[in-house]
Amino acid sequence: MSTERPTQSDRELWRSLATDRVAPGSMSGPVSDLDFAAWLEGRLSETEAARIEAAVAADPEMRRAALELSEVLGMPLPAAPARLQVRAEALVGFEVEARAKRAGLFDWLLASDRRFVLPRVATLTAAVVIAISGFMLGGGLGESMAKERYASASQTSDTANELTEFLSSDGL
Amino acid sequence: MTELNQIDLRTLVTGNKRAWDSFVTAAAPLINAVVRRTLASYRLSEEDVMDAAQDVFVRLCANDYRLLKTYDPARAGLSTWLAVVARSAAVDHARRRRQATTPLDDVPEASLGVEDRHVEKLKIPQGLLTDRQMLVLKCLYDEEKDVSEVAQLLKIDAQTVRSTHHKALLRLRSHFQEEPQ
Repeated sequence: MSTERPTQSDRELWRSLATDRVAPGSMSGPVSDLDFAAWLEGRLSETEAARIEAAVAADPEMRRAALELSEVLGMPLPAAPARLQVRAEALVGFEVEARAKRAGLFDWLLASDRRFVLPRVATLTAAVVIAISGFMLGGGLGESMAKERYASASQTSDTANELTEFLSSDGL
Repeated sequence: MTELNQIDLRTLVTGNKRAWDSFVTAAAPLINAVVRRTLASYRLSEEDVMDAAQDVFVRLCANDYRLLKTYDPARAGLSTWLAVVARSAAVDHARRRRQATTPLDDVPEASLGVEDRHVEKLKIPQGLLTDRQMLVLKCLYDEEKDVSEVAQLLKIDAQTVRSTHHKALLRLRSHFQEEPQ
């Protein structure tokens, strides 16, 4: 590979110039990761590429990123340590684990196969209808509350009668 | 071994374990290389390199693969996009580590201070150089890269870098000869 570098006088000229420092992105707007990647691959149109080149020229951090990435992407990659791979694989669980987490009624209705959604909805509706009919046949809440109220009222009047009898027997 | 361009991204973002494992196998060498290259100048430990690489994978699958879902194959290749994401995660990791571990007294004064050289420099007028000319000069002089490295970055041949460099210097010389100061 050639290691051609500029001459000393060119370098001196450059050193005499104030070339810094435009704030990153202030000239041409922020550069997204996708735009930057597309520029690194030389996929952008001339206008789009000029916008990224202006940002890279203005921002030393972006320039370093571009040079480093271009270097890494252009060389053969060594294998990653096994430990790295094992740790990364552990970040996503098996489907059985994922399914076990979904336990709600809504999840049961929508679980895995969409073909079974209709029968599931029908089963659930039938269960609700049966429960409501059973409740209505049993008289519902209104009747049971009325019975309870009658029982407590008759118990109160019995206590009042007993008190009246006791007081009258003492001549009060 | 599965190549990155063979990964079925649609299956991957559904949370499929096998697709994730294939993705990890294919992406690990690239992510490992980018993270190592990025952290080389920060002088961090091997454990930090592992943690930073793990951070990249965490970012990719977090929040129901939100980051991976932003990737658009029509815009850029998966490996290049992953490299950009990996570098950005590695830089964040290094900055967090440095903030967490380096007492201010340990930082060399030179890296904290503002440059105290009152040298009047000539201003390059806006528009004198094109963005590409400016980028070529900055890569050659500020980053001290050679012509072939700049050519590789800009996906152009070395001769084009040379001629861009030459034209830029001619413009600078002619401008500052006509208007000294």
